[in-house]
Amino acid sequence: MTGIRNAPSGTIDARLAARLAAIVGERRVLRRESELVAYRSDGLPSYHRRPACAVFPGTRDEVVAVVRVLADAAVPFVPRGAGTGLSGGALADGVVLLGLNRLTCILSIDGDNRLAVVEPGVVNVALSRAAAPYGLHYAPDPSSQAACTIGGNVAENAGGPHCLKYGVTTNHVVALTVVLPDGEVATLGRADAEAEGYDLVGAFVGSEGCFGVALDITVRLTPNPEAVRTLLADFTSLDAAARAVSAIVASGILPAALEMLDAPTIRIVESSIYAAGYPVDAAAVLLIELDGALAGLEEDVAAVDAMCRAEGARAVRIARDETERARLWQGRKKAFGAMGRLASHLVVQDAVVPRTQLPRVLAAIQAIAQKHRVTVCNVFHAGDGNVHPNVAYDAGDPDETARVHAAMREIMQACVAAGGTITGEHGVGLDKLPYMESIFSPSSLRAMCDLRDVFDPARRANPGKVVPVHSCREWQMAPAARGAAAGQAE
Amino acid sequence: MTATPEIAGRVRDAAARGIRLRVRGRGHWMAANRPVRADDTLSVRECTGIVAYVPGDFVMTARAGTPLAEIAGAAGAEGQWLPLDPHGGDDGSIGATVATASGGPLAAAFGAPRDHLLGIEFVTGEGDVVRGGGRVVKNVAGFDLVRLSTGAWGTLGIITEVTFRLRARPAEEETLALVTDEDAPALERLCAGLRALSTMPMACELVNGALAATLELPPAPTLVIRIGGNRELMRAQRDALAALDAGALRPVDDAVWRRLRLAEPEGHAAWRLSHRPSDFAATWRAAGQSLAAAGGRWMHGSVLRGVVRCGAPAGNVDRLTRALALPFDGARVGETLPASIWKSLPPAASDRLSHGVRAKFDPRGILNPGILGETA
Repeated sequence: MTGIRNAPSGTIDARLAARLAAIVGERRVLRRESELVAYRSDGLPSYHRRPACAVFPGTRDEVVAVVRVLADAAVPFVPRGAGTGLSGGALADGVVLLGLNRLTCILSIDGDNRLAVVEPGVVNVALSRAAAPYGLHYAPDPSSQAACTIGGNVAENAGGPHCLKYGVTTNHVVALTVVLPDGEVATLGRADAEAEGYDLVGAFVGSEGCFGVALDITVRLTPNPEAVRTLLADFTSLDAAARAVSAIVASGILPAALEMLDAPTIRIVESSIYAAGYPVDAAAVLLIELDGALAGLEEDVAAVDAMCRAEGARAVRIARDETERARLWQGRKKAFGAMGRLASHLVVQDAVVPRTQLPRVLAAIQAIAQKHRVTVCNVFHAGDGNVHPNVAYDAGDPDETARVHAAMREIMQACVAAGGTITGEHGVGLDKLPYMESIFSPSSLRAMCDLRDVFDPARRANPGKVVPVHSCREWQMAPAARGAAAGQAE
Repeated sequence: MTATPEIAGRVRDAAARGIRLRVRGRGHWMAANRPVRADDTLSVRECTGIVAYVPGDFVMTARAGTPLAEIAGAAGAEGQWLPLDPHGGDDGSIGATVATASGGPLAAAFGAPRDHLLGIEFVTGEGDVVRGGGRVVKNVAGFDLVRLSTGAWGTLGIITEVTFRLRARPAEEETLALVTDEDAPALERLCAGLRALSTMPMACELVNGALAATLELPPAPTLVIRIGGNRELMRAQRDALAALDAGALRPVDDAVWRRLRLAEPEGHAAWRLSHRPSDFAATWRAAGQSLAAAGGRWMHGSVLRGVVRCGAPAGNVDRLTRALALPFDGARVGETLPASIWKSLPPAASDRLSHGVRAKFDPRGILNPGILGETA
């Protein structure tokens, strides 16, 4: 038989593949199983989804052309940067994966006005490196900053240790050019002057790939601080470390970063190639960075040192030089990498709790872990109350897997009960989807669906993520459909 | 205190009967932005009170009608503040400040309302109660309804409650005044020096001579600078400012900031010009021309943000029209203008996405219709 047959589920038909290849070139359209393996998960190894194909445009025009072809064919797609996300957000389940990591141009840097215009595939740390000659850097610094892309950061409204003082991605994006899922190119915000009207930049940042694809991003750059002091405070109890965090935050001193690592994390980091010189017998360490003008900084350093000791720190050590500082930070930033040595699977939570609740919540996490016989490692942005309890486990062991997931659910419930939220920087993606209804009412979720429908009425961009499908308006209006679909659910 | 369900009920009722609503807080912004065509007023004035405040968390939740002064009082008692100083003073409500995205001189260092907000509750044009964000300092769960409703002038929903981040009040503060030369090269040099300071002042506002007099300063163009920090940082900042070699820095009463927020006479027209901070001297010059054309008297600008705000008597419509038509490369944003002038200015939200958002959140167009210049 000649002609195009209907493509089997989870693949795309040959004619569409040919149209995509005509835009980006044959070798930039991946369809073979062996080629797609790398794109089956993101930074969170617990989810696997097989894309129908992966396409990698190399220029902005190619991105637009690809999106238009996909719109024409009514095929859903999932934008993806470096795939370092921790929510399963950049997984394409039988649809097209649109890779943007080839768009790596820093289009301009305006040192005088502290702005940079970048393509979505620019790696986070590459921007700071390029801004260094101007005495500037890009402040949001996710732990994956050596690999993650600015486009991905925009999609996730990414955070990082230094967001405590400097704010998250949304505080640093001033304008965007995007291609909407229907192929229209739109400019959001403006970088050269005050913008009037709705804050569509704010709406787009953190939309997790559901609103379209950023083609260029104008970000604010931050002056490098005149001086930086990095302290390592060593505690013999987790509770004491948590109390020190609350005390520092309440004092009004705003550190650039205030991170905590607990005993299991310290031991894993110290036995890895990322060993940072953390005391292996400590119950917890705080990594505290103070920055800003040199004048007056030592006063704050002394105050923080005193607060740590008052809460029971055994020792507080100040990095002597940049090498020691870099080493202390490497241990923190590579902690998840170090955990990869323990087991093939890792779950990471991303809840945020009020800072005054940290001692109570950390105690609750320990109790939950004991109850379910799992080892929880805590390495997190303590100053923000952004906890990342995580467990490395063997997914081949059904009993362990069940215990880990039960513990994680209870931890999340405890964080929400403490007045917190379910994600502080990783996004909802697939992983937090089941928790959305625990913090948002049906009408709030419906409003989010409505907002998505403005950008993507066909819901082809990153389908099935962020907001549970059954929260959407037409779903609620059609009880028959709801009943039918509920019958199909597992 | 007006409860959210009560407001939602009124909106549902209005939506059912096709009644267009003028949303009102404490009444300070009623003359601002484009004329509204409404049948009735919905006030959130009685929707007041601080709902939650744990000082150790540096987070506060307040009902929309809460005056900024009440927030300042509660936070101030704990050595904290919400560093937002919109024009009109502290009698205005937090809800209106958010709805209008109003900032003031402190925005230079601390950002606009969007940067302070953590969570929001609002009632849509269909009477649905919607919450976005949360009550913790970092939250990215779901699409960002917080930023979306900030600066939407009530057209996407009536804001009933907001949660925002507070900051520690600096140990010491000081306001310094510097009489400046408005001459372009001198002003450019000074602005470049200010932008390159290693510690940014909390505010850095250039006021023209007429406005300086209103602020009880000598009637000459004056740069008013607000610095804060511990004693040593304050000393370093004073030294760095002196090293700009731009003239004598004189400590002045902090009250200039309050006076600046209340300086404009009732019924005046106001508009803003903005461009890149590096173009501030040119923006200041363009604003001066605009002011002269309008027969206005006062203007002031944030050197670090590149925004200049001008004011003139509203009576002379022809002169105002000419002033707003002068060529300018940056953005010209009207604040308070006579109704007839708004017709000559482009709408604030005319693109497809903005229309789409409006149609989703206020499908009947009953919330402040006309305020953004839409045709609805």
